[in-house]
Amino acid sequence: MIRVAHVTKYRGRQAVLKDVSFEIPAGASLALIGPGGCGKTLLTKIIGGLVRPDQGEVWVDGQEITRLSEIELTRVRFKIGMLFQNYALFDFMDVGDNIAFPLRQEGKLDEEEIASQVEAILKEVDLPGIERLQVNELSGGMKRRVTFARAVIRRPPILVYDDPTAGLDPVTSSKIFILLDRLQRQGATTSITISHDLVGLRSICTKWAMLVAGEVVFFGTSEEIERSPTKVVRQFWMGESDEV
Amino acid sequence: MNGVLHRVGSSILSLSREVGGLAVLLGQITVRLFPPHLDGKETWRSFYKVGVKSTPIVVTTALLTGAIMAVQSSAFIEEWGAYGLLGWGAGFSIMREVGPILIGLMFSGRVGANNTAELGTMKVTEQIDALRTLAIDPISYLIMPRFVAMIVMLVLLTVIGDLFALVGAMIFADLMIDVSPQVFWHSLLEMTYLIDFLVGVIKAGFFGFAIALVSCHYGLKVTGGAVGVGRAVNNCVVASAIGIFFLDYLLTPLIDSAWAALFIRYG
Repeated sequence: MIRVAHVTKYRGRQAVLKDVSFEIPAGASLALIGPGGCGKTLLTKIIGGLVRPDQGEVWVDGQEITRLSEIELTRVRFKIGMLFQNYALFDFMDVGDNIAFPLRQEGKLDEEEIASQVEAILKEVDLPGIERLQVNELSGGMKRRVTFARAVIRRPPILVYDDPTAGLDPVTSSKIFILLDRLQRQGATTSITISHDLVGLRSICTKWAMLVAGEVVFFGTSEEIERSPTKVVRQFWMGESDEV
Repeated sequence: MNGVLHRVGSSILSLSREVGGLAVLLGQITVRLFPPHLDGKETWRSFYKVGVKSTPIVVTTALLTGAIMAVQSSAFIEEWGAYGLLGWGAGFSIMREVGPILIGLMFSGRVGANNTAELGTMKVTEQIDALRTLAIDPISYLIMPRFVAMIVMLVLLTVIGDLFALVGAMIFADLMIDVSPQVFWHSLLEMTYLIDFLVGVIKAGFFGFAIALVSCHYGLKVTGGAVGVGRAVNNCVVASAIGIFFLDYLLTPLIDSAWAALFIRYG
């Protein structure tokens, strides 16, 4: 479903992603972990076609996307839903318009159908009846769920979550992971989730990739990562530090 | 010596980057004009924000500018007894130069800076990336409506501004040196020509084009959070002002020559 082959990206003269390769089969959910600044968000942006790599290939649903034009990429992006770290909600629209936006742009449904879909998805994310609230009236957790609703309303087969629980309290974080799990099961989607919440990730992810300084140091299953002999992986997994 | 060369080289590179960026954006906009695709809601929103909301400030500035022109020239008019030339003098300078330049600069400060700040904030808060992930082309959805609105509205605002500046000049001419409105309008209509009005309007269209291109370019290339947005707004205002004066210098003789050629050919 998603294949990343020898992807390298430079910032100036420094390689921020170095020969990254892995493959995620259809329906699998990948946890992308690693210390801050190791290139996780950049990698998801490359997979989403937002940033072009300097070397390597990215295959999404059987199509190589790194050489596509912006207009050709639009067709690929219908298959991908992305949840951004900073919410990225449109602040010139209310909640309802934010969620309805992708459907309106698609132009396949009338306003009545769009309104009913928005109502249904808001119920699904436990925020019923907030269509007319402005984005700045929402809490962090609510914004996260609204962003989520907007990303999944077209039911894309691939979902990318960039730190879906960043800055949230443990209870809200847990709710978000339950929500991700529920939607994952309902839609049988392929997903990539970036998070530092390993407990939450364990509840939804079947595959793990760990990046350190732009390089993949681990790729495998939950069982394999628990038993990994690599020091840096073990330390990250156990939350240990070299310092005493 | 090396330091000087380095600075000169860096400046040339930086200028080339900006010009290249503007050319690329212009190319992207041109490609999307065939066939034109404008989001109706976003286009009306842009027209309202750019045009309707700018009208009060343009009207106020124009009225006061016209008034100041009458006040400043009143001493000379009285000295030379050239009461019958005031309408022409005000009309000629307002329609050809003061109107389009002043309103263009006001427009770049209000609308251009706001556009850069809005697009820049959308860029740093990943809203533009969000549009792209939702399979929506940001150039078609965000830039095209603003571009069209800025060009159309600056032309309309210049026409409105010209009118109010003339009204301001007329009122103060009457109050300061007793030039009656009849004398003022007679002088204006007798001695100014259609070309004096057209020069200003055509220039306003080009100024709108320059402000739209520059403000969208700087907005879309913002990096680095709030500091980056501030820097982009500053660059936008400076570049727009330079663009306005440069185009003014270039277009005035060009339009006059074209008009003269047309006049000779078709009488």
